[in-house]
Amino acid sequence: MMGHTTRAPIGDNVLRTGLALVAAFAVLALGATWWQVVDAQRLSRAADNPAVIAVARRALRGPIVDRDGRWLARSSRDSNGEAVREYRDDTISPVVGYASRQFGTAGLERTYNAELLGLAGSDPFDGLLDKFGQGSQTPLGLRLTLDLRLQRAAVSGLGKDRGAVVMLDPTTGEILALASTPTYDASAIANPTTAAGTFEALRNDKSDPLLPRATLGRYVPGSVFKILTAIAGLNTGAITPQTRYPQQPAAEKNGLLVNGFRIKDGHHPQTGSTPLDLVGATEVSCNIWYALTGLAIGGGNLVDQASLLGFGAPIPFDLPTAVSQVTSGTGSAPGGFQDDVELASAAFGQGQTFVTPLQMALVASAVANDGVLMRPHLVSALTGDGPGTRAIDPQVWRRAISVTDARSIQTAMQAAVEGDLGRLFTSGAKVPGVPTAGKSGTAELGGTGEPHSWFIGFAPVENPKVAIAVLVEQGGRGGARAAPLAGSLLERYFQLYGQP
Amino acid sequence: MSGRWWRIRPRTRRTELQLLVLVSVTLVVGAASLGATLRYQAALAADKTVGTLDLLPPDPRALAIYIGALFAVHAAFVLAGRRIDQVLMPAVGMLGGLGLLLMQRLPQSLVSQSFGDAVLGLGQLQLAWLLIALAVIAVLAVAVRSDAWLRTYKYTWAAAGIALLLLTFVFGSDVNGARLTLSIGPLSGQPSELLKVILVVFLAGYLSENRSLLADESTRIGPLRLPPIPYLAPMVAMWAIALGIVVVQRDLGAALLFFAVFLALLYVATGRPSYAVGGVILFVVGSWVLYNLFGHVQQRVDNWLDPFRNPLGSGFQTVQALYAFARGGILGVGLGAGLPTIGGRLPVPAVHTDYPLAALGEELGLIGLLAILGLYLVVVERGLRIAAAAHDDFRAILAAGLALVVAVQAFIIAAGNLKLIPLTGITLPLISYGGSSLLANALVIGLLLALSDPGVEPPPPPRPARRWLRRPGRRAARAGGVDAPAIGDAVLPGAGR
Repeated sequence: MMGHTTRAPIGDNVLRTGLALVAAFAVLALGATWWQVVDAQRLSRAADNPAVIAVARRALRGPIVDRDGRWLARSSRDSNGEAVREYRDDTISPVVGYASRQFGTAGLERTYNAELLGLAGSDPFDGLLDKFGQGSQTPLGLRLTLDLRLQRAAVSGLGKDRGAVVMLDPTTGEILALASTPTYDASAIANPTTAAGTFEALRNDKSDPLLPRATLGRYVPGSVFKILTAIAGLNTGAITPQTRYPQQPAAEKNGLLVNGFRIKDGHHPQTGSTPLDLVGATEVSCNIWYALTGLAIGGGNLVDQASLLGFGAPIPFDLPTAVSQVTSGTGSAPGGFQDDVELASAAFGQGQTFVTPLQMALVASAVANDGVLMRPHLVSALTGDGPGTRAIDPQVWRRAISVTDARSIQTAMQAAVEGDLGRLFTSGAKVPGVPTAGKSGTAELGGTGEPHSWFIGFAPVENPKVAIAVLVEQGGRGGARAAPLAGSLLERYFQLYGQP
Repeated sequence: MSGRWWRIRPRTRRTELQLLVLVSVTLVVGAASLGATLRYQAALAADKTVGTLDLLPPDPRALAIYIGALFAVHAAFVLAGRRIDQVLMPAVGMLGGLGLLLMQRLPQSLVSQSFGDAVLGLGQLQLAWLLIALAVIAVLAVAVRSDAWLRTYKYTWAAAGIALLLLTFVFGSDVNGARLTLSIGPLSGQPSELLKVILVVFLAGYLSENRSLLADESTRIGPLRLPPIPYLAPMVAMWAIALGIVVVQRDLGAALLFFAVFLALLYVATGRPSYAVGGVILFVVGSWVLYNLFGHVQQRVDNWLDPFRNPLGSGFQTVQALYAFARGGILGVGLGAGLPTIGGRLPVPAVHTDYPLAALGEELGLIGLLAILGLYLVVVERGLRIAAAAHDDFRAILAAGLALVVAVQAFIIAAGNLKLIPLTGITLPLISYGGSSLLANALVIGLLLALSDPGVEPPPPPRPARRWLRRPGRRAARAGGVDAPAIGDAVLPGAGR
């Protein structure tokens, strides 16, 4: 047994191989940690996870109630012990959505699917302790910021028109109403026996009832966009509230020559040949003044300022949101505009500008709240007695405008509703006894169709309680359709919550 | 020879006994928890309430038999009086016991076989295979006192392995698009499981014989240093044949396993990282060729890269396995509380063969999964320790290879389950259901135990180095290896020293 080999010892090679194996197994451990800890929450809530599907069949989804506790969605068991989901009425469908065995989920039912089913084991470390207690499978309920009475008023105000209404508290970001018409019967989709027929009919309906217009509809804004141009102008220093353009009165008559293209505007006979300032131009909704302001701001700055208010990316919200845009961004001019003609048109809300009603409500809300944009939200609390219940407090999203500039725009918007000349357009929005600010919009669509009718505003002007955006698809002039509807909804708000 | 049995002195094995008690307690606790959970879930499904906590295991007799068998093996080792490793058997017993609990907990109809009137389900079949595997381990560990029969006939073993594969190729039956199974009468098995043991034996023989040549001399091709061509050729040929057949059989997992073990042993024998690096380059090139040539390879890779693209079709199993891991979280949902079936169907159809780790990860959590990985590392550590302590190169490379074959196989399938590499259909050693797999791994463990005895028969005297006896002497040297006193030595009492 002695010295039978002169070769290099093999032990070191064996040791190194062993170390390599230990390293390989450490990689396995890291992989397991990834799926079981880091990514576990996402995977465990995936809609096609069999555990989620199995629970969805058995579990009673948590209830959804409005801000005063009125039920909006509730579950019960039928005679076979299967869960049945029921919704209060059609008006809430674009917000609450539906939970169907056949067609999946939509709306808040989708966003909070895991919580409503009781699957949201919060994070993996909280989940550690859940295992030892009862009720880790307790479905949670949702308390919304929505006011069912305002929601119903908004839907009935839109009537047979297609359109959307967004009402929110500008100081907290709480959404009070988020209406979209036409709407649909979510209970019929949730009911397994009527789901297929209902869903098929809705999908073939040309009026698109399944589209939540307030968050996913994108529309030409027309003159309501001028508020954003004013914000951008003041923020960048391109204008002051006193800025006047000497060439403006003449251009009203002959059109404004930009790059050889003549931008036309109706003449405002009341203002004669006096160049207008911010308040005057907003009061009479002067396209020429805003076109010149847009050119002074520049395309790049306009797009940047818009993104400060939420343009260019989905708005972080409880529901999916479409991206609002100032321009399609395919041009070579700064900001992605084609040229100055498009920029000048975008500045008064025509051109390639498309916005969601929610986005425009946020613009009004930022002005109302002295320039601070609150994060919009629909859910104020996860309720119930399982783990994971919590209140969702208002959050500041960002400061979008300085206080002084926001006050200037407030004055201009108040003039647009209450001024001697503004009244001629927008008097319908005025709430009797409450100082009201706003801006109407008439979005030309080209061709012969009726324009979209818009209004954004807030009340009262001092210490605002509520901001609003109203859109009526092809509803005619903003002052004629959207503004009176906004006025009646604001009035309803003050009936319910008291005059300031 | 019979008279020698009287002279064997029993030798107590305290460490092994203590570890076995620990393993038994763990398994009993696990089985009790499993039984309680299964009854609770059954009551819940029937809308009944459970009054008292009933901790009876689901199949107490099977558990008792298994634990009894573990202690019987221990008793055999004690009586044999050999100084063999004391940690290996309890580690293997724990892995096998976990597999048994898993198989008892899955739908029993997943695999069933009838013997006359008796129909055995998944759990009972697994128990039967485990008992046979333990018997194989015990017999090998007690009876093998010489490695001459492996050392001497390496080319015979290689030929037998290749013949086995060719048989499978010609007469084998296709399962899931891969021709893996060979049936002889009522018996069927997967020869590639056996082949991995044969491969290790052959490589150990060949590499130990040519070790210094492979390590010291080299052929330079550009920047690459390759082993001298004449000595590389038989090995590459063996490898190419095995790989070719494996590719024809579409057994990607076995191909990967063989290649990885081959490279690792080449490194152990030569200590040259450049060979391993060259092999990895070869592997990458080969994989790329295979990917472009074969649809089923492409599908595996695409499923790996993005299983969520087709979560209900080709990516189904991968996605469901990830969901299972995620449901388990850190502590797991508990034995029996996982989701093996939904509406009577398995979300992971191959859970008992390819995906036991996903089921265990769900029910035992990250903690349990790390413990299982740790148990494999214990097996490897014991194997490599035996290799490092071996008296000669053959025994060292053989022991290292046997340990590697278990560890690398566990790594490949675990990494596939965890979506670190594309999934290849091989078993999780000692846990997965399957007779071939259990028996092959029992061979590995049994041989390792036999080799761990420091009193195992001493290696034959070193042959004159090849350097002086080039071609003319080669034949003589080999002949000398065959009829050297090795056979006679086999009866020398290893323990009598």
